Order: sequence, then structure tokens, then C-alpha cells
Amino acid sequence: AAASSSDSDACGAESNEANSKWLDAHYDPMANIHTFSACLALADLHGDGEYKLVVGDLGPGGQQPRLKVLKGPLVMTESPLPALPAAAATFLMEQHEPRTPALALASGPCVYVYKNLRPYFKFSLPQLPPNPLEQDLWNQAKEDRIDPLTLKEMLESIRETAEEPLSIQSLRFLQLELSEMEAFVNQHKSNSIKRQTVITTMTTLKKNLADEDAVSCLVLGTENKELLVLDPEAFTILAKMSLPSVPVFLEVSGQFDVEFRLAAACRNGNIYILRRDSKHPKYCIELSAQPVGLIRVHKVLVVGSTQDSLHGFTHKGKKLWTVQMPAAILTMNLLEQHSRGLQAVMAGLANGEVRIYRDKALLNVIHTPDAVTSLCFGRYGREDNTLIMTTRGGGLIIKILKRTAVFVEGGSEVGPPPAQAMKLNVPRKTRLYVDQTLREREAGTAMHRAFQTDLYLLRLRAARAYLQALESSLSPLSTTAREPLKLHAVVQGLGPTFKLTLHLQNTSTTRPVLGLLVCFLYNEALYSLPRAFFKVPLLVPGLNYPLETFVESLSNKGISDIIKVLVLREGQSAPLLSAHVNMPGSEGLAAA
Amino acid sequence: MSSEMEPLLLAWSYFRRRKFQLCADLCTQMLEKSPYDQEPDPELPVHQAAWILKARALTEMVYIDEIDVDQEGIAEMMLDENAIAQVPRPGTSLKLPGTNQTGGPSQAVRPITQAGRPITGFLRPSTQSGRPGTMEQAIRTPRTAYTARPITSSSGRFVRLGTASMLTSPDGPFINLSRLNLTKYSQKPKLAKALFEYIFHHENDVKTIHLEDVVLHLGIYPFLLRNKNHIEKNALDLAALSTEHSQYKDWWWKVQIGKCYYRLGMYREAEKQFKSALKQQEMVDTFLYLAKVYVSLDQPVTALNLFKQGLDKFPGEVTLLCGIARIYEEMNNMSSAAEYYKEVLKQDNTHVEAIACIGSNHFYSDQPEIALRFYRRLLQMGIYNGQLFNNLGLCCFYAQQYDMTLTSFERALSLAENEEEAADVWYNLGHVAVGIGDTNLAHQCFRLALVNNNNHAEAYNNLAVLEMRKGHVEQARALLQTASSLAPHMYEPHFNFATISDKIGDLQRSYVAAQKSEAAFPDHVDTQHLIKQLRQHFAML
Repeated sequence: AAASSSDSDACGAESNEANSKWLDAHYDPMANIHTFSACLALADLHGDGEYKLVVGDLGPGGQQPRLKVLKGPLVMTESPLPALPAAAATFLMEQHEPRTPALALASGPCVYVYKNLRPYFKFSLPQLPPNPLEQDLWNQAKEDRIDPLTLKEMLESIRETAEEPLSIQSLRFLQLELSEMEAFVNQHKSNSIKRQTVITTMTTLKKNLADEDAVSCLVLGTENKELLVLDPEAFTILAKMSLPSVPVFLEVSGQFDVEFRLAAACRNGNIYILRRDSKHPKYCIELSAQPVGLIRVHKVLVVGSTQDSLHGFTHKGKKLWTVQMPAAILTMNLLEQHSRGLQAVMAGLANGEVRIYRDKALLNVIHTPDAVTSLCFGRYGREDNTLIMTTRGGGLIIKILKRTAVFVEGGSEVGPPPAQAMKLNVPRKTRLYVDQTLREREAGTAMHRAFQTDLYLLRLRAARAYLQALESSLSPLSTTAREPLKLHAVVQGLGPTFKLTLHLQNTSTTRPVLGLLVCFLYNEALYSLPRAFFKVPLLVPGLNYPLETFVESLSNKGISDIIKVLVLREGQSAPLLSAHVNMPGSEGLAAA
Repeated sequence: MSSEMEPLLLAWSYFRRRKFQLCADLCTQMLEKSPYDQEPDPELPVHQAAWILKARALTEMVYIDEIDVDQEGIAEMMLDENAIAQVPRPGTSLKLPGTNQTGGPSQAVRPITQAGRPITGFLRPSTQSGRPGTMEQAIRTPRTAYTARPITSSSGRFVRLGTASMLTSPDGPFINLSRLNLTKYSQKPKLAKALFEYIFHHENDVKTIHLEDVVLHLGIYPFLLRNKNHIEKNALDLAALSTEHSQYKDWWWKVQIGKCYYRLGMYREAEKQFKSALKQQEMVDTFLYLAKVYVSLDQPVTALNLFKQGLDKFPGEVTLLCGIARIYEEMNNMSSAAEYYKEVLKQDNTHVEAIACIGSNHFYSDQPEIALRFYRRLLQMGIYNGQLFNNLGLCCFYAQQYDMTLTSFERALSLAENEEEAADVWYNLGHVAVGIGDTNLAHQCFRLALVNNNNHAEAYNNLAVLEMRKGHVEQARALLQTASSLAPHMYEPHFNFATISDKIGDLQRSYVAAQKSEAAFPDHVDTQHLIKQLRQHFAML
């Protein structure tokens, strides 16, 4: 409870973005923690429900390696380490209650196992047979038959020619200045030389149950291109696998006793995938650049490479996608939010960003004051979703994911534009349509011929009708060059008296039209007009001339007829234009 | 043989065979044998029978189905005093059809009528007119007609208005209503019913002839209504007396009273009568009449509920389903309308209206091949007219069955009954010509459409576009002006006018036209762009 209250105190002071998904719980730029993601672990070390952070600290400049355990923002315990830490992991050793997890810290050739934060066991890698020539040289030195300078020359020649590397003692000797050699030889000449390899990476693998709190084995990757699986109780080597290169990142899934899959990213830029029954790699993924991180998200292996990009691979080595980063990737880790079932990859970049990706979709970007070198997400203190970051300058940042925060794919710069996903209202292709296209394919030529024949006939028919219309001037539009005119008629009124309005327009651009006459043709038994024939005034181009006249319906039978309007030119018998006005029935009769 | 046949039986046989004229003539002969009397002799049942038969024959001759046929006069439209709310909520009124566009194709795809509804697949009297907004529109358009272009997509024209009996009775009316003693007839229920139908259907039209000398202007329309009332009164009086005689227990008379009230425009009274009749006896007819009253009162939702209530009593009744579909269609709810039309087809798979409506719906939602199926079905059912072939031709063209296209149009042209139909066929042929890129043919076709129908606004518009492409700006503008004055509800002429004015630099006119176009079709993107552009222009100056 103390940790969470201090968290919330700090968050009030530091929070700057209201809409951020994260609460700033703690930021200490002077925390003096220099480490990588592999050396961070979160665990309930005392079994009291309060999760602590275990840091294998390299120390400033890699000089003073230390094991630090943090509770909240404070360092709880601190103890020096004999060598630089390679990896930290927490795991359950046995089934007994209380199930407090053990802490394993790989450092040099040893794995130091702590229980309850007390040293419990030290596992050392098995010794390797030393080079007989080297052994012989040191034996001579022991008997003082060889001076340090000759020893150095001999050792250097062995180093260059022999396949097996030299022992640590010899290597250290080679580093020394001339003045120090004498003392070093005197001090160490009595010791028998040992050759041991060192641990490069470590992870845990469930022994026989897939549960969250099942007993786990430690999996070690060593400098001599081997993978070792250790028994969790007796710390004996259960399995040994060899690789073509030195493993640097490990990802494991499955259970040791049942079936497991091991992916090891190696220094030669390849990722090797091994299975339970194979002593040698089953698949190999050849990267085009050195890997900087390897994370498994569900069934996808996400690899960060030195080419500033993330790649997704299936567990059989098939490449799924690639995402380009704006800067070099410094570190990667898994973000697993159990409450929402979310698994995503976090990548710390050299430009001070931490990006969170689900597959290739960017979920969130966190800006940090310094480049982040290690990342860890999980339960810390009593808070479920906490993100712990350490920076290049030794700072410590702790952020808490808001409980209401939901990661949604922003799609800001990756993926297709949103318009592409919009569904258009395209009608379904019906079976009928498919049948018709089939018919078209089969009888295309015949259809085309039929259409062309019909088209010729239609053209003829249209031309005939058009000519007839022109000859009898049935059209309300005149197209002759001299009198381009347009006529349309409107009838208004309920009857028996109607108003007939003719709209006459000269559609030429410049020339006015003079000397036009309008004539009405109608059944005199049905209608009577005051003027059946009148002159049209001069028509100015572009203006609409409404010419009004009254029509009286004489019929009492509700019969209506057509009135023909003719526009004539003075001195010509053929009309220029004509319009047929369908007279309405007199409403006086229809309504009653 | 026939001379020996009992005349009344023969007349009855004629009546059964729907040879009404012969039947009526025979009855007249029989009645002439007895001294001409207004009323049948009660002692002579044969005469009484002949009298009823003649009345029924004369009625049948001019009988129109009151339910289907309903054309609103101008007075009903413009002097509507039943309007309840001036601005009804969306989806509750037939007057604001544009408000609820539920998933149907947009105006750019499916043309609309003057009232703003998508054109229907089946021409009914009320689908054409709608309610005009202004008096000028009311006076002009629905009567000189042909401005709204419903014909191209309609397959049957079922306008059968009761104008038949104008010249049928040369020797004076069969029954002189003014001399009728209605009280006496109401005592004899069988006679009364025949007499009522005669008065209602037959005399209604005959009487109108007597109004010949009325000089009619809008101002004296109430006077005309009064005369009309007089006739209806006869029917109504008889109905009222008969109801009284049957101690208000005869639903038939109540329905008839309701019908009279409806004709007189007294919708609330009609509603009461129909409701009371429904309480006594539930009949499909009564439901339909009552729904019609609600539609007249502009309460489509109530009418829909009523139809659904009716469907509970008469499940699967085609006329009720069809009524629902029509109301949905009028409310622009095309998807629901199509659903109910499909229901109709499940019950009656030869229902012309349903097939035509579903067909045109498919056509306008980009599935011409399915529409083709429906129209073919109509053809198989024996409907053989120009409109159907017109539609078939269009469907064939858009479904890429080119070999059938022009043949269908050819048939449509030769089957066209009047010039308007021919105009529509030419118009569609113009579209085909545009489709194959033959502008010359297209030009001729549109011109021919105009020759056949001088008020074809669409043809004016398309012709203007062709002129515009030729560079004849003045002509194009004149044509577009005509088109927009003929059919102000179409957005295309306004928009085209705006574009062409914009091109020649007449920004003011362009702006005015663009605003009209926006009023006609608010969602038209190109218009919005144009208006935005013009506003920027104006702001720059």
C-alpha cells in the first residue's frame, strides 16, 4: 500500500498529458541504474503480494556490477556481483507452499539462485577440457622454465592457431603490461588452468504444466554455442543442444516434458528454431541484419534488427510483415495486459520514444526524456499494469497504465488509409448476372450483329421520323440558321376560360428576328379564341417573350382537344415551328 | 328460341354475362309494358325485379372501384382544411416525402416526381400529382400533365375515372331523383340498396351535366360544391333513412354513409361511420375505406396501423398488404415498400402492381437483370403495351443484353397509344444513342421526343447538354431555361444552367441557378462544389 500511495503522489506532480494512457508514477534521472531488458525481472519475492523489481545492474561504465531489488521507487537491498550480469529471471523451483519464486541471475559462467533474497545455490557451467599445449606452457611456467615474455608469445600463437579458445587465466595474462606479468605469473602459476565458458542469455521454460505458477526450468545460452536446460530442483543439465552460432536472445514456448519450441537469435544474424526432440536447429531464419531483440507474441516471433525495423515471422520461419522505425531500436520487450488479453511489443528507440505495436499496428508512443535502454511491463507493487524503463543515463521511469485505457489501432502512419476500409454500396453480383455474362461470352458475335442490324434500322427509322417532323414543322425548336427559335406553351386556369401563354425565344446570339406571325388551329365547336392570328413583335436575342391569349371552352361534355400553335414567317406558307397544346378538361364539369 | 325465353331470365342472363346495355334495354322494354311509373308496382313482383335489374345494370356500366380511384381535385388540394400541423414531424406525413430517405437510391439515380417522391413502378391516380406547393403549380401542372414523367417506368395505366355515362341516357334519366320519396324506399331494404348504388354511382355523373351553364372561377367553387352536395345528399338521405329503418344495425348502410361523407369531404364524419361499421362487422372493404380517410387526413402512420390491424383479422389479404406497400412508397420508404410488395407476391403471384414496383425498384438499385426478370414475368402474364416494352428495352440495355434492346424499343414505339408514350420511347432511345456514342442519333431522338411531347423537360435538358458540347451556348441556355420552367423539381437543368453560366462568366446567374439546384437536391455534391467556388469568387471581388 505504501508503494502505491507514493506512486500516486508522484503521478500528480509529473503528469502532463491529460489524454495520455499512462500515469507518470515515478521519474528519477539520478537512479544510477544501468541495465538491459534481459536483466530486469518483476516478482513477488517474499510471497506477500507485493511485487518487487530485480535489477542486474551493470554499474556506471560496467565497473561495479550489483544486484539491486527495488520496492516502489526505493532500492530495498543491494549486493555486489562478481561479474557482469547477463540475465535475470524469476521462476518457481518446487511445488511446495508457500510458492515464493526463486530469483536466478546469470553472471559470467555461473547462475546465482536466491530464495527469499538469500543466496541459495550457485550453478556453474561444467568445465571444458583445457588446451593441452596451453596446459603444458603453464606447467613450464610453474617450474620456472619459461620467462613471461616467451610465455606471452607462445600463448598468442596458440590463440591464433588453436580452435578452442584459451582459458580466462591466459587471456587475462595476455592483456597485462610487461611490468605486471612477473607478478601475475608468480601469483597464478600454481593454479591449474580451467576453461569455462560464459552464459550469454537465460530464460525460463515450464517443466510440465502450462499454468502461470508452474515449476519452470532455466534455459541457458552459452558462449560455446550451446543451449542448456537445467532441472529446477537439482540443477542438473536435463538437455543440451548445440547451435551453429552464439545465442544472444532466447524465446521459449511450451513445456519441457511435453513439447517446446525454442527460438534463439544468434550473433551471426540467424534465428534458429529448435524443438524438443531435435538436438540441432529445425528451422533457420536468416536476417539481413543483426538482431537487437526477439519477442514472441502469441505465435508470431517479432525480431528487431539493426536496420531500424521490426519483422514478424511465423514459428516456421515465414516472414509476415515488416515495420520501419524512425530510429534505431535499443531494446524490446513484451507488453502483456492480462485483463484485456492484449499482447504487444514495446520497442525503445534511440530518439527517446517507446513504441508499442500489435502486429504491425502502432498502438501507442511514449516520449521519454532520455533514450530507454531497458523495458519491463507487469505487476509492480500492487499495481497490475506498470511499465518500468531505465534510460541510458541511468534514470528510472515508472509509468502506470490507466485502468480505463484501451489500446486502439490509431492507424496514424501505418496501414491503409481509412477510406480504403469504407464499404461501398455495390450491389451483389446476382446469379442471373453471371448467367447473362455467360450468355454474352457464348453468343457475343451474334448479339453484336443483331444489335448492329437493329441500330441501322433504328437510324433509318429515326431519320425518317425526324425528316417528317421537319417537313411538317412539328418541332417546337427551329434549327435553321436564319431563325433559331424556341417555343413552349403553358395553359393555366380551371376552365371554361383558360389562359394560354406562349413562350417564344430567339436563341441566336446576335441577330434579332422580325416579321413573325402566330396562328392557332383549333376545333371551333369546342373552343373560341379572341384572336386566332396575330403578329409577333421584334424578338431580341436571348429574351423570353410570353405571349398571352385567352381560350374559352364551349363544350359542356367535358371533352378536351388539342390546340395547335403555329409560328409562321411572313410570306411563307410552311410554318417555322409548331406546338401542340393538350387542353385540359374544363374543371367546372369534372368537379361537379 | 330467345323469343320464347322468359324476358326477365334473359335480362338476368345478360347481366350475368356483363352485357349491361342489352340487359338495361330489355328491362326498359319490360317496364314500358306497364304504365310508366317512377316506382315499381308492389303488386307486380316481376316489374319490381326488372326495375332492380335495370338499376343494377346501369350502375355496373359506370361502376368504379371507390377504393382504388381517388383523384384529388384542385379544391381538395389547395383548400385543404383538414391539415393539422403545418410542419409535421418527419415520417408522419405524406406531404413531406423527402424527409425520410431510408436506404433507397438517391435522386441522382432515381428520378423524382414533382412532389419530390421517387417515381413509382406503377402509375396510380395519386402517385402522379402529389400536393403542389403553390397555386400556380396547382393550376398548371397536374392537368396539362405530362410534366412529371411517370410513364417511362410505369407498366400499366389504370386511370379509369368515372366519365363513362356522359352520353348514355338519351331519353331522359331512368329515375327522376327529385320526385323520389326516399322514406318510402327506405322501408324496403332490397330496393333501397339497388337504388342507393344507382344514385351513388350513376346519378353522380349524370347530374353534372345539368351544371353546364355555370361560369366557373375559383371564387365560386363553393357554389359548385353545394350543387354537388345536393346530389350526394340524395344518396346520403336515403342511406340515413335506411340505417334508421334497420335500427342502426346494418353495417352495409353505415359504410355507404361513410362513403357519402367521404365524397363530401367530411372526413371526420366518414371516419366515425366506418369505425362503427367495423365494430359490427369486420370487412376488408371497410378497412380500406377507413385507411383512405386517414390518407386523406394525411395520417399515414394511423393508416399503416389500421392496415396492420386488418391483417390480423384477414391474414395475407392482398389489398391490405398492397395498401401498406403503397403508403410506404409514398413516404419514400422504398425498402419497406419492396418488402410488402414481396409479401403481396407471396399471396398473389400475378399481382401486376407488385411485380412492376419491385421491378422498377431493382432497376434503380443497379440490378437491371433482376428487373428484366420481373418485366418478363409481366409480359408472360399477357400485359402487352408500350410501357412494358419500353421498360424491357431499358433493362436489356443496362443488363448488356444488346440484341434485345432495340427490338423492344421498336415494339414499344409501334404499341405506343399516344404521343406521350412515343415521346418517352424516343427519349430512352436517345439515351441508348448517347450510350453508344452516336450524338447525331441522340440529337434526333431527343428532338423527336420533343416533337411528340412539347413538354418533355428531360429531353429539353439532354438536348441542351448535347448543344453545350457542340458549343452552342445560347441555344443550350434557352433549352435549359425551358426545361427548368417545365420541371422546377428536377435539379439537372438548374445545375447544367449554373455550369454553363459559370463557364461563360455569368457568375450571378450561375449562382442563382446553383441555389435552385441545391434546393431541388440538397445532397448533390457537384452543386455544393460549384456554390463554394462561386462564393470564393464573390469573396475575392
